[in-house]
Amino acid sequence: MRTRWLCGFLFGVLAVAVAWAAIGEAAQFNWQQFKGTQLRVMLNKHPWQIAIEPHLKEFEALTGMKLVVEVYPEDQFRAKTSVELQSGSGSIDVFMTMPAQEGLKYLRAGWYQPVDEYLKDASITSPDYNWNDFMEVGRSAMTVDGRVIGPPIQLETNQLMYRKDVFQKYNVKVPTTLDELEAAAKALNGKAMTDEGQNGYGFVARGKRAAATSIFSGYLYAMGSAWLTASREPAFNSDEGVKAFDLYGRLLRLYGPPGSENNHWYEASSIMGQGKAAMYTEFDSISAFVEDPEKSKVKGKIGYVMFPKGPGGKPGTMATVWGLGIPKSSKSPKAAWLFLQWATNKEQVLAITAERAVQGGRTSVWNDPKAKVKMNPELAEALIQGLKVGNSNWNPAVVAVPEVRDAVGAAIVTSIQGGDVKAAVNKAAADTKRIMAETEKK
Amino acid sequence: MRRLGQSGEGPWTYILLTLILIPFLFPLAWMLLSSLKTQVQNTAFPPIWVFTPTLNNYREVFIRNPFFTFTLNSLIVAAGSTGLALLLGLPGAYAVARFKQSGIALAILTARMAPGIAYLIPWFILFTKMKMIDTYSALILTHLIVALPLVLWVMIGFFEDVPGELIEAGRIDGCSHFSAFLRIALPLVKPGIVATAILGFIFSWNNFLFSLIIAGFKTRTLPIAVYNFLSYEEINWGGLTAAATIITLPVLILSLFIQKHIVRGLTFGALKG
Amino acid sequence: MTEHLTFESRRSHTEERGFSGFIERHPVLVFTSPAAIVVFILMIFPVFYTVYMSVHSWFASSLTRPEFIGIKNFQRAFFEDERFRNALWLTLYFTALATALQVVLGVALALLLNRPFRGKGFFRSIFLLPMVATPVAIALVWMMMYNPTLGVMNYIVGLVKLGPFKWVSDANLVIPALAIVDTWEWTPLITLITLAGLATLPLEPYESALIDGATPAQMFWRITLPLLRPTIMVALLFRSIDCLKTFDIIYVMTAGGPGFASETLNVYTFQVGLFYFHIGYACSLLVILFTLVLAVSLLLIKVRRGSW
Repeated sequence: MRTRWLCGFLFGVLAVAVAWAAIGEAAQFNWQQFKGTQLRVMLNKHPWQIAIEPHLKEFEALTGMKLVVEVYPEDQFRAKTSVELQSGSGSIDVFMTMPAQEGLKYLRAGWYQPVDEYLKDASITSPDYNWNDFMEVGRSAMTVDGRVIGPPIQLETNQLMYRKDVFQKYNVKVPTTLDELEAAAKALNGKAMTDEGQNGYGFVARGKRAAATSIFSGYLYAMGSAWLTASREPAFNSDEGVKAFDLYGRLLRLYGPPGSENNHWYEASSIMGQGKAAMYTEFDSISAFVEDPEKSKVKGKIGYVMFPKGPGGKPGTMATVWGLGIPKSSKSPKAAWLFLQWATNKEQVLAITAERAVQGGRTSVWNDPKAKVKMNPELAEALIQGLKVGNSNWNPAVVAVPEVRDAVGAAIVTSIQGGDVKAAVNKAAADTKRIMAETEKK
Repeated sequence: MRRLGQSGEGPWTYILLTLILIPFLFPLAWMLLSSLKTQVQNTAFPPIWVFTPTLNNYREVFIRNPFFTFTLNSLIVAAGSTGLALLLGLPGAYAVARFKQSGIALAILTARMAPGIAYLIPWFILFTKMKMIDTYSALILTHLIVALPLVLWVMIGFFEDVPGELIEAGRIDGCSHFSAFLRIALPLVKPGIVATAILGFIFSWNNFLFSLIIAGFKTRTLPIAVYNFLSYEEINWGGLTAAATIITLPVLILSLFIQKHIVRGLTFGALKG
Repeated sequence: MTEHLTFESRRSHTEERGFSGFIERHPVLVFTSPAAIVVFILMIFPVFYTVYMSVHSWFASSLTRPEFIGIKNFQRAFFEDERFRNALWLTLYFTALATALQVVLGVALALLLNRPFRGKGFFRSIFLLPMVATPVAIALVWMMMYNPTLGVMNYIVGLVKLGPFKWVSDANLVIPALAIVDTWEWTPLITLITLAGLATLPLEPYESALIDGATPAQMFWRITLPLLRPTIMVALLFRSIDCLKTFDIIYVMTAGGPGFASETLNVYTFQVGLFYFHIGYACSLLVILFTLVLAVSLLLIKVRRGSW
């Protein structure tokens, strides 16, 4: 009887406290100012999208707005959004965007509604939003030509994933440089590594034309090359660049699974998940797949380290940043801005990090021990170290990204096949130059 | 041709038949088998032939994806485009056959030679401007590009088989052209209409290219859903083949009803590219 | 109801006014125009648009308008664009290989099957399944069967001590591997067409040949094949038109890869137009592809009329 009374009392106190907090917040900021507005949200099938989806109802309850959410796989997502933005039809209000991939094109075409002004406007930006809480790498990736496109929603880096059990069994040192990576791939290739004792491959990664370029960028920068020079000329056909193409192709050709030249991340992760590869270089969100107990036989056996360094200790870490943007054609850009804020405020980022280990890029969340319960500690460590040095140029910063990716990807495939790498890279550079001339004329 | 001195049916004929059928059936059988296996059984090498079947893959496909919606979308678009094609195409085919308008038939054949993308790009640009991307109407219209010539082409043949005297007799009795078409010709070609409708349905159901570009989130059809699976599901072969089986089974069953007419329909071509 | 209709239809329709009278005076116009108008809008407008855009340069992802550039697109395709020349070659290679395989195999099967047996309908039903099955599903199943490490195809060729092959992941094998899929899909069609053709062959030439003491091989080469020529040419015509334009299975299985080793013209055009958004250039590629299809068709029609 006493306990029940106590419980009731505590509940009462709690309810009053919550109500008071709500009133307090409402007094500070009016979340309901666009009540009744409908927002059309275009999302890419992605770990962040999977994490945020169960929370979307909370946004509708908080603001009285309605969300219409559409989800597409990545290639189609890009095609659909660019088509709709181009038509200026004005029905998208929020979309996921990756400025490293499309920022320049979208900004130049006038498709983005920059949010710098919104951030300064106290009537539509909650005082506790705290833009500077986002890590520097996230903020800079979301800034194109000096304009803030929107908040980052997920940060990831390319990492080296390796089979801890296999490395231990064969007494191989975990690579920290590209030379050691190749030595380890050679040493482990053909060794028994599956549960049944079958042999596996030393190394696996994407090899499919355009898809491979994102992973290859790590090798390119670690070798000391880059996509473009400061004057926007192709730079990847330098001697260092050719070495990088050569190395990537050699790793897959000599120590990788047969047919690598057609492997996207789905095939590569599946080979890793079956326990048939000792090492895998990929962006870290892939851990959701290789650690999935339903699909993977190697859950818990994978170690994560930063991407190996190149000659002279040059880092090959790439930081990719997904963010949210508002199209200029949106009829309710300010209402959309409320969604952007809500989806990236401290509570939301904390919730999705804790539930799904999605790294949202807020320093305060990162330092909160509650956030890291689901995150592999090694992965987290490699990520936080990587974000300090990572650059976001995992794609050449051009307007016609898909076309240039295909041109560069062709050289990667040639290298995997053991063809004339130098000629292929020079051809890719010439193609890139031509494509840029065609698509970037003012 | 009944070649002289050749044996009729005997055990060898059936052994030969079986040997010929095996390679043509194998991929479809393999699809079905894989859809009943677990992921571990599917990734075993050498392949496993004897196993305890599971329906889990099918359950997963329906639980994790709005497969009913995709099926409904496919049904709406296939029924809409086939129905519209019949409505427009039947009178046309009748007139071509009855009044010997071979020019139209030739035009259809030429149109059939153009690659599908030649139709797709202009329509895509137009639909984008008209904000009609991801609508049933846009999808039905693009599928009509395949269905209407098909109906004309196949039905001309059926109407040509209708004896002219019957129509003439009706005309003498005072039938208008329209009622001769409606009350004399149409009932006679009923089997042809059914066959054509099924063919049109199959072509639309199988269409990939047009739906890939014109369909969107709301109107996504089954082939696009299955294609998307390729990236969502890594190489979850059980799930992929379950989805493939779900989409293929209806057309396989439908095709059994029209096996006699299918060659004519298909020489018109699976205008697929 | 019937009475009423009969009464109505007894009147002379040509004298009627209004729409039903109009039908009577212009039956062809009224019956064909709905279909003709829709065909015109759906199919002829795009063809004009494509030809018009083929002499323009338009990068649809920018704010610029289409710009008239004459035949520059075509010059670029033939003289500067290696990817185009590669695609042109692959298109011809794929078409030649696939049609040759399925015509030879299809005719051979038809000759084997051209005998009376019970259950023809059942056999035919099973036999035509590959061509009605959904192409995306077919592509997916073959992709799985061609998997270089786990696929059943390597197991099968392994039984006769061949392989393992990388199939669609091998730049040199990808076109033959795709041609096998197309052959699997379409050989039954050739067989069924040829069987229909065989059923119409006259008996007399064979009877006189038998009297002259001809061997079965001679009869095949001298009588059956020449008589079947029109049938085979029609089959060849339809298959080569479709092979030149094959899209679904290539796009789903390889998307033109590895590298550009299976990027046929149709796949390349799709990428240029609907992925890179160079609409003008894509339209000029379409004009080239259409010309190619037309040329091959005319050639086959000519061969059909002329001698072997």
